[in-house]
Amino acid sequence: MSYEPKNPREGVEITVGYRGLGGQPDRLEKRTVQPAEGDAPPWDANTPFAVVGTDVDRTDGLAKASGRAKYAYDITFPGMLQAMILRSTVARGVLTGLELDEARKMPGIGAVVALKEIGNKVRFVGDAIAAVAGTTLHAVRDALEKIRATYEAEAHTVDFLQLPDAPMLGVTGDIDDEWPADENVDGALAAAKVTHTGTYRTEVQTHSSLETHGGVAKWNGKDLEVWNSTQATFGVRGELAGALKARGIEVESLTVHAEFIGGGFGSKFSAGIEALAGCLLAKEANAPVKLMLDRFEEHTCTGNRPSALMQVRAGLDDKGTITAWDWRSFGGCGFNGGGGSVAVPNYYTSQAKKRASHKELAMDTDPARPMRAPGHPQGWFGAELFLDELAAKAGIDPLEFRLHNDDQTIRQDQWRFGAERFGWQKARARTNEPKARYWHGVGLASARWGTLGNAGRPAHGITCRIHQDGTVESRSGAQDCGPGLKTVMAIITAEELGLPAERVKAISGHTSDPSGPASGGSTTTPSLAPAVRHAAWLARQQLVELVAKHLGVPENQVACTGGKVGAGTAMLPWNEACKLIGPNPIEARGKRFENYKQDPFFRGVCGCQFAEVEVDTWTGIVRTTRMLAIQDCGVVIAKKLAESQVLGAMIQGVSYALHEQRIMDRTSGRMLNGDFLRYKITGPKDLPQLECIMHTVHNGHANTSAAGLGEPPSVAAPAAVANAVFHALGVPLRHLPITPDKVLAALANRKV
Amino acid sequence: MKPFTYVMPTTLAEAGEAAKKPDTIVKGAGLDLVDRMKERLQTPAQIVNLLPLKTEMAGIAVENGELRIGALTTLTQLEQHPALANRALEGLRHSAATTATPQVRHRATVAGNLLQFTRCWYVRSEAHRCLHGGRGPTCLAMTGDNRYHSVLGWMDCVRVHPSNLAPPLLALGAEYSTVLDGKVRRRKLSDLFPSEPRAQLAEHTLEHGEIVTALHIPVQPEGARSSYCESREKLSHDWATTACAVRLVMSGDTIAAADVVLGAVSPVPRPRPDAAKVLVGKKPSDDLWKKVAELAYAGAVPLSHNAYKLTVGKAIVREALEQAAR
Repeated sequence: MSYEPKNPREGVEITVGYRGLGGQPDRLEKRTVQPAEGDAPPWDANTPFAVVGTDVDRTDGLAKASGRAKYAYDITFPGMLQAMILRSTVARGVLTGLELDEARKMPGIGAVVALKEIGNKVRFVGDAIAAVAGTTLHAVRDALEKIRATYEAEAHTVDFLQLPDAPMLGVTGDIDDEWPADENVDGALAAAKVTHTGTYRTEVQTHSSLETHGGVAKWNGKDLEVWNSTQATFGVRGELAGALKARGIEVESLTVHAEFIGGGFGSKFSAGIEALAGCLLAKEANAPVKLMLDRFEEHTCTGNRPSALMQVRAGLDDKGTITAWDWRSFGGCGFNGGGGSVAVPNYYTSQAKKRASHKELAMDTDPARPMRAPGHPQGWFGAELFLDELAAKAGIDPLEFRLHNDDQTIRQDQWRFGAERFGWQKARARTNEPKARYWHGVGLASARWGTLGNAGRPAHGITCRIHQDGTVESRSGAQDCGPGLKTVMAIITAEELGLPAERVKAISGHTSDPSGPASGGSTTTPSLAPAVRHAAWLARQQLVELVAKHLGVPENQVACTGGKVGAGTAMLPWNEACKLIGPNPIEARGKRFENYKQDPFFRGVCGCQFAEVEVDTWTGIVRTTRMLAIQDCGVVIAKKLAESQVLGAMIQGVSYALHEQRIMDRTSGRMLNGDFLRYKITGPKDLPQLECIMHTVHNGHANTSAAGLGEPPSVAAPAAVANAVFHALGVPLRHLPITPDKVLAALANRKV
Repeated sequence: MKPFTYVMPTTLAEAGEAAKKPDTIVKGAGLDLVDRMKERLQTPAQIVNLLPLKTEMAGIAVENGELRIGALTTLTQLEQHPALANRALEGLRHSAATTATPQVRHRATVAGNLLQFTRCWYVRSEAHRCLHGGRGPTCLAMTGDNRYHSVLGWMDCVRVHPSNLAPPLLALGAEYSTVLDGKVRRRKLSDLFPSEPRAQLAEHTLEHGEIVTALHIPVQPEGARSSYCESREKLSHDWATTACAVRLVMSGDTIAAADVVLGAVSPVPRPRPDAAKVLVGKKPSDDLWKKVAELAYAGAVPLSHNAYKLTVGKAIVREALEQAAR
C-alpha cells in the first residue's frame, strides 16, 4: 500500500458492500466518505489484504493451551491470603444479627469484613453477608462457620409463574388472559387469511464461565492493584474507586489487570461485591488477598439469562405476507425486577400492524445480568418457532416464508446460499417412517445484531510501538475476554506495517494502557479496530520518514510491504529498517474517530442458521446432528477466531435449546443443580457437525469497517434447533430446554 | 477443617485394622469423597487409602474359569481387558466404557463404583436437611423436584442408586469378596445392597471396617450374551436417567435363561426376575421385548416430576433385550 498522509478534504471514494456468496451476484456500491482530519484512509472492498481475513492463529492460543497464560485465578504473591464470602441461607428477609468476633479469633485469619449491616434486607439465597481472609481456604471456611448470622425470613418465590402478577396459564401451557383490545391489530387479525397463536417459555440459563468471578487485590500504601476476571477493566477501576471512596478509603492510584479472562458472556462487567470485598480485606489484613468464587456461587450469585414467557398471535394475507403481529412477554427476573426484556425480530413484520408489550416479574433470586445477546435467544426462539408454526398452517415452506417476509437483502442472500449448502430442500422433503425409532428434522432461524462500534468515545485509543530490534507492540487497556481482541490487534497492525501477524505483540487488559470499551454488545472489535489501525498507520508514518531520509527518496514513495520497507528496488528488510529507530521506540497513539457521517452500507449484522436433529422417539432424547451458520460481521478481521466465535455460539445455543436450565427448590429458594454435573451443558460427544461460513460485508463506516460478532450467532441457534424438532415431530415444543420428558409428552399427545 | 488421619496401608491386614476405627472412611480412588469433603458433607476422623494395595487388589485374572476382578481395578482396565471381549460379558464392558469421562474412568475403581454415594441433590446439599442419614424429618425430594429420582421400590427416601456397573454385574450373577477382622467372606452381589433401602441405611450392607477385595464373575454358560443400555440427557459426562442390564442364554434361537436388572430408577439396583422369567423358552421378538419391558416396570410408582422415566425406562429395557439377542 502506498503512503497517503492525508485524507482529501472533498472525501474519499470507496467501494462498499459484499461479494456474492457461492456464485450469487456481488452487491457492491461506490460511496464517498469524509474521514476525520488525521485518520487513516479507509480500507474498502478493493483493498488487497495480505493478513486481514486470513487464517491467522489465535496469538495467545499456545500460551493458553500450555498454561503459561496467567488468569486472575493464577495470580499469587508471597504472604497472599485466601478469602471467601458468607452467603445468605434465606431467599428473602432481614439480617437480624451478625457476630464476627469469633471468626476474627480463628487461627490464620487476617481480616473479616461485614458486607451487610443488621437491618439490611436479604434478597436471595447467596446474598453476600460477610467476607473473611486467611492463610488457607480451610482456615477461612472454618472461620465462616464461626460467624453467627441470623435472619428474619419472609415468604419467598423462586418461580416467576407463581408470582401474583404473573399471567394465568391454562392446562395446555398457554396464557389464558384475554388480549386487551387494539383497533389496529384486531382489525388486521380479523382480515387475515390465516391466523395462529402460541405461548413460548424459556428457563433461566447461567453464564457458567469456566473461570469464576473474583481476583486478587494488593495494596502498596494508597496505591491499589487489582487482578480481576472481568470484561470491563476500566469499568471495574471506576466502580472500585467509587466504592472505596464511599467507604472513606483513600486510593491514589488504581490499576486493574485482566490480561486473560476465562469467559464472561456478559456476567463480568461489574467488579461485584467479590472484588470490593477483596480490596477491603486486603486493606484490613495489610496483605494481598485472593477471592475467587466457587462453582456454586458462580451459578447462583453472578447473574443469569432470565426466563421468559411469551405469547404471540399473528395473521397472514393470501400471499403469505405477515399483516398482523401481536406480542406480549414476561421476564422472570431476579429481585431487582430488571434485565428480563425480550427482543423480537422486526424484519419479518414491516408490512404488519404490530403491537408489543412486556412485563418484568421479580423473583427472590439473583438478578439478571446481560448474557450473550440479552433477550434475543429467548425472543427469537418464541418468534421463529411461531413463524414455522404459522407457515405450516398456511402450507408454506419455512424458507420460502422467510424469503417472502424478510426485508433484509443481506440475509436474503444468506438464506439462499445457506439453504443450498445445507441441502435444505432435500432434508425438508424427507419424511419419517412412523414406526422408526429415530425421527429427523431440519429447521432454520435468523440472526441479527446492530452495532458498528462504540464511536462516541474519543478517549478510546491504542498505543503502537516499533522498537529498534524490529519488535512491534500494539497495546490496549481493554480486555480480550476470549473472542480475540489481541489477535485482531496483531492482524490489523501487521496489515498496516506489511508484516506477518506473528511479528506483532498484542497486549491487552492493563488499565495503564489506553482506554477501551467494556466487552459487551459485540462492541470491542468495532470500537477498537479503527484505533488499532490508526495507531499502526501513525507509527508507520514515523518509520517511513526515517527510511525515506535514509534512502534519500520522497516519503510518498516509501512502502511497507512483504516484511520490507523502502522504495522501488531499494527495499530494506524490516529489521534493518528498524535499526534506524534508535533507543527510543517509535510510539504512536491511535484514536477512535467518530464513524463516518455518511450512511454505511448496512447498520447492523444479519446472519442465519440451519440445524438438523435426530429425535429418539423411544426415550425422547434429542440430538443435534448438523448445523450450518452463515454469518456476517462487517469486515472479517481474524477469520479463524470469527469462526470460533460462531461455532461457540452454536454450541451454546444447542445447549440452551436442549439442556441448560437453573433448577430451583421452591421451599428453600436454593438452586439444586449449581454445579457442572447437574447443570447440564452440551459436551464434546453431544456436538453436531458444525460449519460456519463467514461473510465479509464492507460497511464503509470507519477506516476498518469491522462490526461486532459476539452476540449475533447466539441469536439464531436455539430457534433453529427448536424448529428442527418441530419438523421432526410434527408438533412444536414450546418450552426450552427440550428435555426427554417434554418430548415424550408431546409424542403422547400427538398420537391421540 | 476437621483434621483427619490418612492411612496408607502396606498390607490388607493393616488396612482392615485401620478401617475398624470409629469415624473412618475407606477409599479407593476417592473421586467423589474429595468432593464431598470439600463441601464438608463428610468430615471423617480417618481415611484409609487402599490405593497402595493396588498390586494385590487391582487386576483381572481367570481363576478356575471364573473371572476375578480386583476391587481396585479401574474402569479403563476393566473395559480394555481381553477377558471381557466376548458376547457374554459385553454388557459389563460397555457399561465400564461409557461411565463418566475418560479421566474418571482412568481413576475410578470397580468397588468404588459399586459403593457410590447417592447423587440426590437434596442429600448432597448441606443446606437441605433431609431424612437421609437422619439429618431431617422427611425426604425432601418426595415433595420437591424429583425429576431424576426413583420410580420403583422406594420407601421413605427416593434417591436412586448411581452405580452403572451394578446392573451388569448382577445380571451376570457376580459375587463379591470382603475381608473383616481377617475373615474372608464371599457372597452374592445382591447381598451388597439393602433389600429394604431406607433413608437411614447406607447405600450398601458392608459392616464398619469391612473391605471389598474382589468381584467374581462365574463361568458363563454356552450361549450367554449380555448387554447394558442407559438413557442420558447428554452423551458426554452425564448420569443415567434409567438403565438396564440384560443377560440372555441362548439355546439355538430360543432363550434358555434370562436376567434383567434395572439401574438408576430405585434406591438400589433392581433385578427383575418376574420380567426375566417370561423370556425363558421364547424366541426373540420385539413384541416379547415390549411385554418384558412392561413387566420390568410393574409396580412402579412415579413421583410428581418423573413419570417420563417409565416410558424411557421401558424403551431402554427393550433396547437392551434387542442388543443382547441380536
